[in-house]
Amino acid sequence: MSVIETKSLNKVFPGDVRAVDGIDFQVNAGEIFAFLGPNGAGKTTTIKMLNTLIPPTSGSATVAGFDVVKNPAEVRKRIGYAAQDVGVDEQATGRENLTLYGHFYRLDGKTIKQRVKEIFDLVGLTGYEDKMVSTYSGGMRKRLDLAMGLIHQPQVIFLDEPTTGLDPQTRAHLWDHINNLAKTMGVAIFLTTHYMEEADRLADRIAIIDLGKIVTMGTSDDLKKSIGGDVVTLTPCVQKDEECQEFIRRTESVLSGKPFVTGTKPADGELAVYVKDGESAIPSIMQLLGSQGIEVRTISMARPSLDDVFLKYTGRTIRAQEGARTTFAQLRRKASRRQK
Amino acid sequence: MMNALADTWHIVVRGLRSRIRMPVFIFMSLFQPILWLLLFTQLFEKSFGSMPGMGDNYLQFFTPGVVVMTVLFGSAFAGFGLLMMMDMGILSKMLATPVTRVSIIMGQVIAAVVVSIIQAAIIFVIAAIMGVHVATGVPGVLLALFIVALLGLAFAAFSNGLALLVKRQETVMATTNLFTMPLMFLSSTMMPGGALPGWLNTVRHFNPVDYAVVGVRGLVLEGYVWSDLWRSLVVLGALSVAAVIFATLMFRRQAE
Repeated sequence: MSVIETKSLNKVFPGDVRAVDGIDFQVNAGEIFAFLGPNGAGKTTTIKMLNTLIPPTSGSATVAGFDVVKNPAEVRKRIGYAAQDVGVDEQATGRENLTLYGHFYRLDGKTIKQRVKEIFDLVGLTGYEDKMVSTYSGGMRKRLDLAMGLIHQPQVIFLDEPTTGLDPQTRAHLWDHINNLAKTMGVAIFLTTHYMEEADRLADRIAIIDLGKIVTMGTSDDLKKSIGGDVVTLTPCVQKDEECQEFIRRTESVLSGKPFVTGTKPADGELAVYVKDGESAIPSIMQLLGSQGIEVRTISMARPSLDDVFLKYTGRTIRAQEGARTTFAQLRRKASRRQK
Repeated sequence: MMNALADTWHIVVRGLRSRIRMPVFIFMSLFQPILWLLLFTQLFEKSFGSMPGMGDNYLQFFTPGVVVMTVLFGSAFAGFGLLMMMDMGILSKMLATPVTRVSIIMGQVIAAVVVSIIQAAIIFVIAAIMGVHVATGVPGVLLALFIVALLGLAFAAFSNGLALLVKRQETVMATTNLFTMPLMFLSSTMMPGGALPGWLNTVRHFNPVDYAVVGVRGLVLEGYVWSDLWRSLVVLGALSVAAVIFATLMFRRQAE
């Protein structure tokens, strides 16, 4: 049974910005489903349409059996939401934060009391119920934020970039909690992330999203298999200039069409070569390029990662887009949050 | 309806709780009115204390003005709380729950009003300790608090509506400073209407702050001057209703 279902979901912001451009997908009960893509791909916009914060421009979506536009009140009763920014009240205790949400979800005082105990246990915050949130660490706040969307036992939980800004240890810890939730509560989790490792570790199914469109969708293994073998990455040059582009073009033309090569994809100063068997392909590649007088600076071979999948479908890497675009995209997101 | 009331109550409790936990904030916002009472009145007593319409002394005359100012400044900046909720992601998290939409804005406004009424009451107590005699006694003080509550409601709601309209703390700060000071000076807060220049005595009749000052001052200096009291209650009541409608509409626009 699917608990989230969208049909050509669209969101166009003023200025003809197509944030989400015709998205179709389904999420089943008890499934962890991840949207993987770079900042600005349309992940947060999709979540905000599904959790009724903004209306779609066109298309439709049902969550927990109710249409997000026609019946937002019924949707809200059945979902939990944790945004990238932790929406907890610092001048209150963990219990007060959770109790407030219990009231919002129309639970009676006795039920709230009992659930608070269970949920603090579930997210590993037992003993901190009556401590002020201002004394919590970043990871604890995130877990409290998560807990506030669980008190009414929702059918679907939306997590927008759940571990952005957390240190690796806290991140791994939070992953365990999220996994635990899906197992113990049987709840469907829809999460967005730009961390490949996060999607890989957590999600049953992954949709790779870029420029408002789903470019491919499937289990992590299926997506990697779609590469068809191993990925050999060549960097022919030090600087990413015109000359380098020329090198990459030449390298590509030498290699493409060879029997052991299934495909090539240039990206950002490097060339990805998809081969059936990496170990045996490397000597052949070196020999071929050597005979053409092409000097390769570095060569590496790996089993395909989700970034390779992203590259294959979009011609870019998520890795290369982080850093450069992060700050600007975050500023823009902050601005758009204020305006909407 | 019951849900809306319950939600509003919980938001008010949340707002009061977080303010009580910042006692520095409450002290700071009381510090200035107390300075007005202690120092400013000393300054003016000698020159104006014996003017007609002053009551026993300038301190007694000025106490209603300080009470009104405390509420005005306490509520006119109420919109900041909502902007902080927006910036910290608290608002969008709340909006993804079944919480009654209008309760969020009403809860924020009411919490601000409650705090400034408590501050106004403290000013009355301090004034009493300093020897100010209130002509109508405790019932009069309660009616005075009701009058300034209407003023506070109007300005707190307006401030929240403004915050939702401009969405920037700096803009709200600048705009609020722009109108609060003139509102105070273009009124009979510091001088009786008869002692004001003619044009100012006309302008003050378009100033809601003046209606609050006149209403409260009557209760402190003279007694129940019902013609003045009704005028204050009706003007401030109407203004509150308009401001609450403005804030609610702005919030609806925000929450869609």
